[in-house]
Amino acid sequence: MDKKMLRRTRLFIFAVIIIFFFLVSRLAYLQIINYDYYWERAEKNRLRILPITAPRGEIFDRNGRQLVTNRPGFTVSLVDLGSGYSEQTIACLAEFLEMEEAEIQEKIGSQYYRRYLPVRLKMDVDIETVSKIAEHRLDLPGVMIEVQPIRNYVLSNFAAHVLGYLGEGTVTDRIIDFWGEKGYNYQPGELVGQAGLEQVWEPFLKGVDGGLQVEVNSTGQAIREFERVEPKPGSNLYLTLDASLQLIVEDALNEAINLQLEDNNAYAGEAGAVILDPQSGRILAMASLPSYDPNTFREDYPQLLQSSGRPLLNKTMEEHYPVGSVFKMVTGVAGLEKGVVNETERIYCGGTVTRFGATKSCFRGTVHGPLNIVEAITKSCNIFFYELGLRVGIDDLAYYAREFGFGEPTGLQDIFGERSGIVASREYKEQLLGEPWYPAETMDAAIGQGFSSITLLQLANYVAMVANGGIHYRPYLVDKIVDSEGNAQMVAEPEVLHRMEVNDSTWEIIRQGMKQVALAGGTASRLAHLPVRVAGKTGSAQVAGRGSDIPSHSFFVGYAPAEKPEIAFVVFVKHGGTGGTAAVPVAEKILESYFAPDIPEEEKDV
Amino acid sequence: MFDRRLLKNFDYQLLLIVLAICFYGLLVISSATRGAGEDISFVYLQKQAISIGMGFLAILVIISIDYLDFYRLSWYLYSFNLFCLGLVLFVGREAGGSYRWIDLKILDFQPSELAKIIIIITLARLLVEQKERLKNLSQLLPLLLHVFIPMIFIFMQPDLGTALVFAVIFLGMLYIGGVPEKNLLIVIGTGLAVFPLLWTRLMDYQKMRLIVFFNPDLDPLNHGYQLTQSMIAIGSGGITGKGLFAGTQARLQFLPEQHTDFIFSVLGEELGFLGGVLLLALYLLLIYRILKVASFSKDSFGALICTGVATMLTFQILVNIGMTLSIMPVTGLPLPFMSYGGNSMLMNMISIGVVLNVGMRRHKIQF
Repeated sequence: MDKKMLRRTRLFIFAVIIIFFFLVSRLAYLQIINYDYYWERAEKNRLRILPITAPRGEIFDRNGRQLVTNRPGFTVSLVDLGSGYSEQTIACLAEFLEMEEAEIQEKIGSQYYRRYLPVRLKMDVDIETVSKIAEHRLDLPGVMIEVQPIRNYVLSNFAAHVLGYLGEGTVTDRIIDFWGEKGYNYQPGELVGQAGLEQVWEPFLKGVDGGLQVEVNSTGQAIREFERVEPKPGSNLYLTLDASLQLIVEDALNEAINLQLEDNNAYAGEAGAVILDPQSGRILAMASLPSYDPNTFREDYPQLLQSSGRPLLNKTMEEHYPVGSVFKMVTGVAGLEKGVVNETERIYCGGTVTRFGATKSCFRGTVHGPLNIVEAITKSCNIFFYELGLRVGIDDLAYYAREFGFGEPTGLQDIFGERSGIVASREYKEQLLGEPWYPAETMDAAIGQGFSSITLLQLANYVAMVANGGIHYRPYLVDKIVDSEGNAQMVAEPEVLHRMEVNDSTWEIIRQGMKQVALAGGTASRLAHLPVRVAGKTGSAQVAGRGSDIPSHSFFVGYAPAEKPEIAFVVFVKHGGTGGTAAVPVAEKILESYFAPDIPEEEKDV
Repeated sequence: MFDRRLLKNFDYQLLLIVLAICFYGLLVISSATRGAGEDISFVYLQKQAISIGMGFLAILVIISIDYLDFYRLSWYLYSFNLFCLGLVLFVGREAGGSYRWIDLKILDFQPSELAKIIIIITLARLLVEQKERLKNLSQLLPLLLHVFIPMIFIFMQPDLGTALVFAVIFLGMLYIGGVPEKNLLIVIGTGLAVFPLLWTRLMDYQKMRLIVFFNPDLDPLNHGYQLTQSMIAIGSGGITGKGLFAGTQARLQFLPEQHTDFIFSVLGEELGFLGGVLLLALYLLLIYRILKVASFSKDSFGALICTGVATMLTFQILVNIGMTLSIMPVTGLPLPFMSYGGNSMLMNMISIGVVLNVGMRRHKIQF
């Protein structure tokens, strides 16, 4: 080491010594000179932070009708005053709050790494309990009563699967990890959106909690307030949903289920419907029944798990079904586009047909005679579509099914859990059974039976595509998000995900057939009396082998008005029988109300 | 393989001091990580002990290579370093808003920790090569770039504290390397002038930490609260402390990171002024020994590496302990050999390994 370096190294050591001397001085200043002051502060360290929960963002329908809001409620919490929690306090609280002691211990345990924060034991405690606790204040050191906002789903069961519910995150909860990875920190015991919009839009709805720095006395009462940070309320969601329409849909579906149950249909009990704007993908109604009340979700949960009709499942998108004849437009479009049939060609229906060793019949053996494609859709003739399906072939059928968005999620992002469903194809069968495709199976595929399985949301998008000429819009539920200061944080725009290349003449033929369905002679002729023309298609999906007495699934898909479509819809009644029996009457009620002349024009403005 | 005769010059004292600090750390961590009951949580102790063990293995590996090989490999090391720092920005695991770790399945690797020792070694080589031209201010530019590039990567993660460590290492090594005082002042002045530009690039939480440092009342619920609680903890410890495991502040866990960044607060509360001074004395002794090795080293390359390591440790000690004493802003730099955490432990051990290496080979071996 040369001289200069050595000299500088010495100076460096000198500097280090000064730094250390500086630290030691500061240490002495705090620990020796100010010892008394800090000792006292530590001894009386009853400075606590009381979080103030931010009011969660409210949810409104498209017309500004309030769907979800907050109301004040009492929360009972326990704060560690420096010597832990006494057994006696916990026992006493357990009694007042009607909780198990172990449950209280568990909540305390889940917050052990932030013990200076109060542990929230029970929310929305009734006023009697609160006054009981207040009377026994002196026997309950560390017990605090705070007023916190409680979520209020104004219309109870209304659109429960869309709105979702809140639940407490626990240490082992996936949801805390899920948001944690995205940079949002949730504490165990904090309420987190667990389904539907409440889950997906959690970061926007939540807001920013505020807090109070307070000094608490030996009984846990805040005696002095030092600092206060006001919470920032969460942002409000404005939905595409039309609350009055949603109510009509839910009522009509409920009625349909009840009718089935009155008929002693042991298989019935579930139903669903989706209505969307075919020109944008806005979801106007999305109903899944039976439903649940998000207000009392946590209390009801054990029952909900066991009750019939699987109320927790969103039947519009978390499950897919064989859909039967509503699939026939796919086969029709494929046939016309491939040029294997034209508008005028007639195919003879003799009630049954035997091809490739399989004998298949028309619905209930009906003999339709010679039919063109429009008439075949109108009457829902199976024989016509068996033949057409064979002409098209399974590969092109699968291609067009995918073009209509089957086999993968429609792209709804406002609720998690959308299923893909199944497109019947050679590959699928090979993968599932390891067997080659049989031509007879193409006949099943052509009428929506066999392997294919589709969600209600996919069906709604599919009829919307027929109505709008093949445009797959991303379905969406949230129209805009407005923060607590009134600034728009997000304004949704219709998003085109796919455009089908199909000739206008093909669309016209298919639409013609669907219009005839809802007129005299069609399978949904009872809709003929409505003030608007409807284009639709019934479906009766067989779910068991021939001769079984399990009723088929009842479907009706369509759009209206037929000339200038404002809404595209799908109605589904599980095991409701034929499409005409259960689903069409539901659609009738919905359309009747929606297009009733007494609804002000701006409310149905699409 | 290395020659047994090298062991004659092995600095056992230095290693013993490091070992002492590590065990001191284990003691305080065991108190800082008490679980829901009053039991010691062995998970943290076990992991930290494994890190220490791995650190010693790393030292063994490092000292078996002649440090002059590092001189030759300098550019490979530097490129590897940049590669890792770049990689972390793309595949890094995110935590608390920054990307600092690469998931290697068995452990999370933090490239910015490795970067410190690599920059010390490679900068030492540059300084040795350019020794004659250091008087010229413009000749400092390549050196500045050399450190600035990895610094920018780390700044982008973002990790402001570690980026600052690089700036200080740079200044410390330039000083020992013989750059005229006047030029050093110009570099510092430029750095301070550039700071307002960096300010706009800081994340909100980083700005908040700096603002709160100057005015703790502005953020009474988070960082301000932490600083106050840390001072109460340390101040209430008095001369002898409340006794290990007896700290009331530590028990209530007022400080969310009391086993990592705020470990000194726990030590101050439970072991008092004497405990704190003991630790500072150990650190001072450690740095003194490192600089001693520097002054005996056979070449400037070795001497510069040692002073680089000394600068790095001093700065981290100052910033971390200063933070708990409210004389430095909250930056999230760990306390060397004390804080819980595998990456910093391993990298600090490697740095010590390099210093021991320089010390062992201080004389040309006589056959």
